[in-house]
Formats: sequence, C-alpha cells, structure tokens
Amino acid sequence: MLALSITNGLVIGIIYALTALGVSLVVGIMNVINFAHGEFYILAGYFSFLFAHTLGLDPMVAMVLSVGAVFVFGVVVEYTLIRPTYGDELYSLILTFILSIVLQSAYLLIFGPYPNKPPNWVKGATDLFGLFMYGNQRLAALFAGIAVIALFFAMLKLTWFGRMIRAASQDREMAELNGINTRRLNMLSFGLGCALAAAAGVILSPVFPVTPTAGVPVALTAFVCVVLGGMGSMWGCVVGGLILGLVENLGAAYVSTGYKHVFMFVILILVLLVRPSGLFGRSET
Amino acid sequence: MKKRWVFAVLMAAVVGIALGSVPVQAADTVKIGVVGPRTGGAAATGKAFEEGIQLATTYVNANGGVLGKDLEVVFEDTAGAPDKAASGFERLVTRDGVAMVLGESHSSAALAEIEVANRLKVPFVVVEAWADPITAKNYRYVFRAGPSNSGVVNDTIAKWVVHEGFKKAYIVAENTDWGLGIAELSKAALKSAGVPYESLVTERKSQDHYTELAKIKAFDPDVVLAFVYGTGLHYFVAQAGEIGLTPKAVVLDGAGPPSLWPDFWTNVGDYGNLECFVSSMHEKVELTPLATAFREAYVEAFGHAPTDYKSRSIYDAILIAADAINRAGTTDAEKVVDALESTELLVTRGTARFGTEKGGPEYHHWMPPMLVIQWQDKEQVVLYPPEAATGKLKR
Amino acid sequence: MKTKWLLLFVGLAGFAVLPWGLGVYHQHILIVSLFYVMMAASWNLLAGYTGQVSFGHAAFAGIGAYASGILAAKAGINPWLGVAAGTLLAAIFGFLVGVLCLKLGGIYLSLTTLAFSEILHIVINNEYEITRGTMGLQVPGLLSEYSKLGYFYIFLCAALLTLLVVHRLIHANMGLNFRAVQNDERAAASLGVDVVRVRVLAFTVSSALAGMAGALYGHYLLLITPHIPSLDQQFLVLSMTVIGGLGSFVGPIIGAFCLEILSEYIRVYGEYHVLAFGVVALIVARFAPKGLVGISKSVWERRRQAALPAVPVTDNGKGGARRGVT
Repeated sequence: MLALSITNGLVIGIIYALTALGVSLVVGIMNVINFAHGEFYILAGYFSFLFAHTLGLDPMVAMVLSVGAVFVFGVVVEYTLIRPTYGDELYSLILTFILSIVLQSAYLLIFGPYPNKPPNWVKGATDLFGLFMYGNQRLAALFAGIAVIALFFAMLKLTWFGRMIRAASQDREMAELNGINTRRLNMLSFGLGCALAAAAGVILSPVFPVTPTAGVPVALTAFVCVVLGGMGSMWGCVVGGLILGLVENLGAAYVSTGYKHVFMFVILILVLLVRPSGLFGRSET
Repeated sequence: MKKRWVFAVLMAAVVGIALGSVPVQAADTVKIGVVGPRTGGAAATGKAFEEGIQLATTYVNANGGVLGKDLEVVFEDTAGAPDKAASGFERLVTRDGVAMVLGESHSSAALAEIEVANRLKVPFVVVEAWADPITAKNYRYVFRAGPSNSGVVNDTIAKWVVHEGFKKAYIVAENTDWGLGIAELSKAALKSAGVPYESLVTERKSQDHYTELAKIKAFDPDVVLAFVYGTGLHYFVAQAGEIGLTPKAVVLDGAGPPSLWPDFWTNVGDYGNLECFVSSMHEKVELTPLATAFREAYVEAFGHAPTDYKSRSIYDAILIAADAINRAGTTDAEKVVDALESTELLVTRGTARFGTEKGGPEYHHWMPPMLVIQWQDKEQVVLYPPEAATGKLKR
Repeated sequence: MKTKWLLLFVGLAGFAVLPWGLGVYHQHILIVSLFYVMMAASWNLLAGYTGQVSFGHAAFAGIGAYASGILAAKAGINPWLGVAAGTLLAAIFGFLVGVLCLKLGGIYLSLTTLAFSEILHIVINNEYEITRGTMGLQVPGLLSEYSKLGYFYIFLCAALLTLLVVHRLIHANMGLNFRAVQNDERAAASLGVDVVRVRVLAFTVSSALAGMAGALYGHYLLLITPHIPSLDQQFLVLSMTVIGGLGSFVGPIIGAFCLEILSEYIRVYGEYHVLAFGVVALIVARFAPKGLVGISKSVWERRRQAALPAVPVTDNGKGGARRGVT
C-alpha cells in the first residue's frame, strides 16, 4: 500500500510540476495568473483525442500536433485578451476566470459531457518491485513528464530564448532597456506556458480522460504548486509538484479518500500564512 | 472609438440572438413532461430517453393519440442535480403546462422532484430512479414504473450471488441516495444469505481508484458489487483489471447503463471482458410482443439494435401515461391519479400494475423483471434468472 | 434632486406590485433575480469598491444556507432564527477570512478565497451524513403556507436591506475610505485611512449579506444543495456584476435582473446560458470594463456634451505659457 501510494504520488507529482511550470513562467514574466490554465491542459487532451481517433493519426503525431495547436491558441488568447491587462492584476484575474468558464462551457457544447480518452501508447501493467501491479500507461506518463521537464530546463539554460526569459523574469525594465521586445516575449511566453499545460494534458489524458470540467482541479493544483514552490522559481515548481502529489496520495491512502483534495488547500493556506514566498521564492518587495 | 464599435456590434449580435426568436406557438396537443439528465455525467441516459420518447410518441400518436389530440413530450434537463431537478419540474408545470411528468434516472433528483409534485399536485411517474423512499414516502401523486433498490437487490442481485456460489463479496457504493440505499439493502441481504462482505464508499466522478482497489484486493473477494452510476465505473473496471483484481474477482455493475454507454469499451479496453451488469432488456428475452415491436421500431429509426435499457423504460412510461389520461378522459390530476391506480397495461417489460399496499416502497410501484448479463467477447450473455439464461458465468 | 427621489419611489412601488399581474413562473424569476441582486451587490462591495476579488462569495452564501438548513432540518429550529444564525455564522467566517487575507494582495487573496470555497465544497460533500451532500438537504420554508407572493416580499425587503447597507457603507464616512483604498492603497494609508480596518469590515459585511441571501434562498427552494456554494454560482454573480458595472452602485442590480431574465429565455433552447453569459462577460470585460452602467453613462455624457453650445475660443491675454515664446 505504501509503495503504491508513493509511486502514484510521484507520477501525479511530475505532471503537477509540469503544469505548474507553465503557470510559473507566465507569472514570472508577465505577472499574470491565468485562471484558464487548466482549460488549455484539457484542450490538448481533446485535440489529442480528435487527431488520433477522428483523423486516425499516429498517437505520437497527434500529441505533438495537439501541443502545437494549443500553443497557437495560447498566443491568440494573449494577443486578444491578456494584452490590455498588463499591470492590472485584478483585471487579468477576472478576465481569465471568465475565460475559464467560457472554455468549459464551450467544451461541453463541442465535445459533449463524456470523458474523451486518447489511445494508450502502451497497454497492460507491470509488476513493480514484486510488490504490486501498476498500469504501464502511468509509468509511461512518468517518464514522459520527466523528459519534458528536463527539456524545458535545458531550454532555459542553454538557448537564447531561455536567457531572455530569465532576464525578463528577473527584471523586466532592465530587460526592456536592453532591447528585448517584451511584447513579443510575452506572447511567446504565454504560448509556451499553455504549451507546457498542453504537454501535461496529452501525457496524462490516456490515463485520466478529459471532461469539460476536469481542468479546474488541474489549474488549482498548479497554483498551489507555484505558491508552495515560490513564485518565480522553476525548481520550486518541481519540488512543489512532487510534494503535493505525495501528500495527496498518502493522505488518500492513510487518512481519507474523500478529503484527498483538501490537503492541497490546507498546504496553500499554511504556506500563505507562514511563508508566503514559498520554499524557493524571492520575497516580494 | 474602434473599441466601442466592436463592442456595440458584438452586444447587438448576442442580444439579438437571445431575444430574437420567439418560441413558436404549439399546435393543439396534450403535453407530458419528461425529466432526465440531458447534460452532465449521465447524459448518455438522456440520449436513451430521447430515443425512447421519439418511438413512444410515434406509437401513441399512431394509435389514437391522447384525448383525441397529438401527444407532445417536453424533455427538461435535470442533469442529475436535485436543485435543477426541482426547478426543472416546476418549470414543466408552470411554464409548459404539462398534464403530468415522467422520467428521472437519478434518485437524489427524483427525491427532490416528488416534493414538488406533491406541492403542486401533479402526477409523477418515476422511471429509473431506484431509491426506496421515492415510493416509500407514499405520496399520492407519485408512481414508479421501474426498478426499486429493494426489488433489484432482493429479486435479482442477492439471489444471483447465492446462485453463483460466491464465497466473499465487496460492496462499493457511490455517496448518493441510490448508492447508499442499495448498498444498505445489499448488506442486509448478504447477511441473511450468510455471505461475508466488506464495503466502502466512493465518489461517482472519481477517476483514480487505485487506493480503493488495493483495499479491495486485500480482502480477496469473489465478487465486487459496484454501485457507481457514471464513468467512475469505467475507470473502476479498467483499473481493477490493471492491478489484477479481475479476472479472479467478478465485477457487477449494479446499475447497468454505464456498461452499455458508447464509450465503455474505449475507456475500459480489454478489461471490460467478463464484466457483469444489471439490465432489464435483452434481445433474446422478450417478454411481450410489444418488446419485439419496440426493437424493430428502434432498428428502423436508428439503424442499430437498442443497447441501453433505459430507452425502453421511458417508452413504457409514456404508454402508461397516455393510457391513464385516456381512461380518465381528462387531464385533471385527481382523475389521472385514480386512472393510474387502476392501470393494467401490456408494455414491453410485462403487464404494468401499480401496488396498493401502503407503508412501504411497494405503494404505487410496479417492479419489472431484471436480468444479470455478462460481457463475453463483447456479446451480452444473460446469466440470471436461470429461466431466461442464455449462457453460463465465465471467469 | 427631488425628481430623482420621486422617480425612485414610483419605480419601487411599481416593482412591488408587479408580481400581482404575473404568473407563478414569472414570479419565480423575479424572486431568483432578487437573490442575485443581493449576491451581486455584496460581491461588488468587496471587489468593486475595495478591490478584493474574492472567489469565495458563493461559499459564504453556502455557509448561511447550510447553517440555517441544518438547524431547521435536524434540530427543528424555526427557519427565521436559522436565517439569523446563518447570517451570523457567515459574518464570523467572513471576518476570519478577511483577517487571514490581511497581508495578501491581488492574486494571493483570490487564490485563498478560491481555496476556502473549494474546501467548503469538499467538506459539504464528504459530511453527507449531516449535510446530505449532493443528495440535497430538504428544509422547511419560511412561510407555513407556501406562497410565491409571500416569498417575493421577503426577498424584496432583504434585497432593499442589502442595498441600503451597501449604500450606507459606501457613502458614509467609511465609504470614502473604501474608495480610497481601492484606488490607491498606499496613498490612502498615508492619509491615515486604516486600510486593514476597511478591508476586514468589507469582508465581514459582504459575507454576512451573502450568508443572509443564501439562507433565504435555501428556505425558498426548500432544498439546499452544494450548488449554492459552487464555482458556477460564483461565476454567475461575478459576470452579473461585471456586465452590469463593477464598482458602480446600480451595476449589480441591472446585471442581476438582465442575466437572470435572459437565462430563462435561453433555457428554452438548452443549457447554453452559461456559455452565452461567459462570452458576453468576456466581451464586456475586455472592451467595456465599466459594464452596462459605464456605457450608458458615457452615452449620456456624450449627449450632454453635444447639447452644450460651442464655447468660443477667446483669449483675453490669459494664454499663459502656451502663447508665444518669451
């Protein structure tokens, strides 16, 4: 039981971390919290399902295309909706909250209420450590998640784009003075943030099929991750995600399955009370 | 300036669409209301209801209609939520002016609706909401032409468990009126049958059942009675297969429709094989000529054989309602209730007769026969009752 | 000035007798609209006037509803007392949350209120033995004889009370402080406005009003479900306020009535009203953040400007620095 919970916790935790990275990126660069973050995750799942099932594409191709499509959608959203909210936190909160609900209703209308499940990449289950059987698709999700996160950090460290992101999130004004086109950067970063959510979505949707409202808990968990890890800290997201995943699953196993999601909120409130800057975050001036 | 223009145009468009079309005045018809989940987690049942409504309306109107006029059915969405159910029911009566209401497949919604029916004094025939209190409350205006929890457990599920000789059982129930109610009755029935059991409560919408399944596997049951009416059941069955609970243990879907929904096989994959479920409909078990007529009409209208038994349930209810109003000769509620009480009508699942014994759930209740069916290589094989069986349990 | 009051009185009187001429169905719509007026006005107090965008407003309505409902259904307490208890409990929780969010601004506040709302939702669902969770809690009504008209007048009085409280808070001495806090916190603080006190007061009062609305609503519906403290309800309240006009007094009133009536129209075609409102709210928030009130104000303003005679450009030597270079 313990081993199963820990494994489950790690798998879910990596996916939480991936989603949280998307949020953290956008917050760090644009100081905007995208309440509709979960809906981009779901959209990718839907696209993945559409491309694989209706268009009959290879599952891997479908996944990549889905992430790309969501990236484009994210850029469009940034351009049309987010742009006028620069500097006004409340405005962006309200706008993205409304967007979240609009997208949820749109999904219900377009895709229907049944969960849509993109095809599994692998079937069956493996015997882990001789202790318990574990679904193969979940293991695949774990490895895929780690891979994407590693790719993201590599991008941050090694590429020109990554350097721009780091510069802009540390000091926006200086970055602008140094010639970085912050408008374009914002657009691309927002798109990238959505793409990260999309990646999480395509990875996990074969295990937990997407429904119109499944994005809300995803977004909430991502926010808690970011707060727990510290706003602006990428590593914080990863650590935060793993901690949340473990706490959730161990809590469900040993305390109560019904209150599984409450643990996350309790952590959020504790963090905000005791150390609002999170585990690795910079203190807000 | 440009912003204002864009805004004005968009607003005008939206307002125009919203207020533009006035609902067309209906022709002279007799209206009956149907409540059910057109949206929400059980929207597939709403679809099944729609199909049944279509076939029943055609049948009734082809056979004289209601009080000489055409029958019109207004289907209000309740999404399985008690608050939507109560307001939807009231809307049918106050806005649409229906003579009576039928339907519902969620017990919690039905329990809210019977209060409204009682307050507004409108006849209400419950179709597929199984919780006992619906008729056990003995409301004069409430009838049930469908299964009840005690009926399903005592006549079918408990007897099947004994018939197959299962040694240990595990009961999984969703935290709703139906789930908790049927779980309690199952526990009592298994106790008196001497079958040891354990139980747990789960969320209908839950997607991750690994922790619960680990607990169940530790108990090592022969049969798992899963009372979960939603896609939670799909994940349950799939994950039960993944962690190796099945095929050693047999899973019974205590509701039925989730195992028949179009996305069952997509979500469950191969692990759906050998899963059992409860149903009131099977091609080889057609109790009346009307059942055959229903199947043929269904194939003609929709191009494939009917799968979800709830389409047939609402069909029966509409026939019963039309018959009652015709015999009453009026849509006056009191006379319709009297007519309902004296119903003796041949429908697809047998002859409908409502109970008269007060004090329990048998009051105003007609219990149709239920079957236990197993998926064997994607074929539905009837296991119970023995007289209707088309095969044997495979493990 | 006097004409304004006369118009208001006549309008109110007219509205008060309106339900006599309507059927049961439309009376119901009016009652529900009044409920939303209470919710939107109290949320507006928080978000529109003190800049605290709380996503937990529906949760306070839920606290009021469940407190009152459980007392009535399980302990047999008179529903009227229950409503009072519910309001009080909501006020207490509002105070606590307000204090909790003291040091938090903007995003953190919204997240915390969202977390509070979700925790409440989960607790209600899990403790179904007391609350009956998603199955719904059946509660007695406020009137021993069910009467739509009776409920209409109850809600009308409650709505007027709510609006009165909000109005007093905004326009009294305290109120100027409210607006100052919203516009510029630091400036307000430097002028001696007790920012903390204003915020906590706003939270407490707004939550109490929501609690009262929720409790009354529960006893009207005769059924309390987790739908009342749900994110869907929060969204409805938010969009009503935004579309009507965030930060204006009449905005929430207009928004509540418009959206509720519209939703009944749309319902004939199916459950599209959430999507429709969402799209409209998005458009309004993006292009006309001051809502319907803001639009009508600017239309009014432009009409007024157009009606004024053109001011001749004369210069009596007072051109100042602009004229010429010295």
